[in-house]
Amino acid sequence: MNTLDIALPQMVLLYVLCLLPWLLLWLIGLRLSRDIGISILRMSIQLLLVGIYLKMLFDLNNPWLNGLWILIMLLVADVSILRRAGLKVRYFALATFTAIASSILFSTAYLVILVIQPTHYYDARYIVPLAGMILGNCLQGNVIALERFYSSLRKNENEYTTFLMLGATRWEAVRPYFRDAIKAAINPTIASMATMGVVSLPGMMTGQILGGSEPWLAVKYQIAIMICIFTSTTIACIINLKLSLNIAFNPFDVLKNKLIEKH
Amino acid sequence: MPPIIRFDQVLVIAHEKTILSDISFTLFSGEKAVLCGKSGSGKSSVLRTLLGLHAVTSGTVYFQEVPLTPASVQNIRSCTAYIGQEPVLGAESVRDALLLPFQFKAHREQQPTQQQLIDVLQRLQLPADILKQDSSRISGGEKQRIALARGLLLEKKVYLLDEVTSALDADSKQAVFDVFSDPDLTVLSVAHDSEWLERCAIIFELEAGRLTQVKRHEHP
Repeated sequence: MNTLDIALPQMVLLYVLCLLPWLLLWLIGLRLSRDIGISILRMSIQLLLVGIYLKMLFDLNNPWLNGLWILIMLLVADVSILRRAGLKVRYFALATFTAIASSILFSTAYLVILVIQPTHYYDARYIVPLAGMILGNCLQGNVIALERFYSSLRKNENEYTTFLMLGATRWEAVRPYFRDAIKAAINPTIASMATMGVVSLPGMMTGQILGGSEPWLAVKYQIAIMICIFTSTTIACIINLKLSLNIAFNPFDVLKNKLIEKH
Repeated sequence: MPPIIRFDQVLVIAHEKTILSDISFTLFSGEKAVLCGKSGSGKSSVLRTLLGLHAVTSGTVYFQEVPLTPASVQNIRSCTAYIGQEPVLGAESVRDALLLPFQFKAHREQQPTQQQLIDVLQRLQLPADILKQDSSRISGGEKQRIALARGLLLEKKVYLLDEVTSALDADSKQAVFDVFSDPDLTVLSVAHDSEWLERCAIIFELEAGRLTQVKRHEHP
């Protein structure tokens, strides 16, 4: 079964649909035309470029090119995580890169090599979308983990200092905030696993079904991807926070506030 | 006998502002000293510098004649009890707050008994049933004494006190004075309270981050 194509006039119809929410927002007094316009334009251009690139990537199916694409995704994610978490990119880039790269490479390799077992492990059709999906979710988790950890540490600086003064090591003193941040980071994934299929049909599964896959196959892939997202988010967040501890504090365990922007 | 605390020409500059300038003093075991001066004169910064919370720009801070370094700072923190104006108890109940430091590796072996908890509370004029109370609901004066009780349970010999009697009534203040009449305890404090000043043998006067005067009473 082939998925029905969406022809250009029908694509235009989709953009016309945007006028409806725009009109509603305008009627209730929300002037978001600029933001909405920019977002829709960006989405369209970015996806168009990705479409061209993926087409090329799939046609060439060269392991180096696939690797390079994953490296670019990791670098963009690295900068995006730190910006959104309010940390200075220059100082934390290596730590975050190490964390996400190791966890993404590990879970994607596990999934592709041990579970899916395609003829070529480097097959762009598998590794590029799978790594991308895992990375996208991992990114959210890392933003939450870093943002939560450093903002609660800042908010509770007196408490943190008290722990130090009572003889705690840096690790002992940050542990309560560390645990909270990791919990906040992985909670959305845990919650989404718990309601998956009941509250919403997951995007990848829907995509596969639309693409002509059997529902059973789509379900198996969805389970595989969710487990990999959960695993890699947990690993990446823990490594990321742990590595950041060596950067964000001075040798006397005092938080270097200038490395963290105010939230 | 070597000094417990020694500042040698200490200069502290933070955010391009001089916080402490050319501070030198010595404090021996059992001595009680108080830092006086207007607000912003650097009194609390002296305590914070000793605890490694302000980076020393030049000069050296010694604790038990060991220079303050990243390697030695944890020992300084473990050997001293720092009690601020508004102490953070860091736990839900008062009992958990008292037992908090014993969760850390540095003090894990010193776990106090229930009787020791009650004794230390009594010494500070606190009722035993305060143990069950929510630590966020007790008064400022009680918080100060609970923080002090933690130091006593840890059998600390050196106390760094920042306005520790500021929220206390006459009776509780007396209880705190009694604790520090122990000749074995060394105290470096910040205070405005005249009764506290009378009890300190050494008074360091600070002005704009500089030590301007040192007074010594023979009989505190």
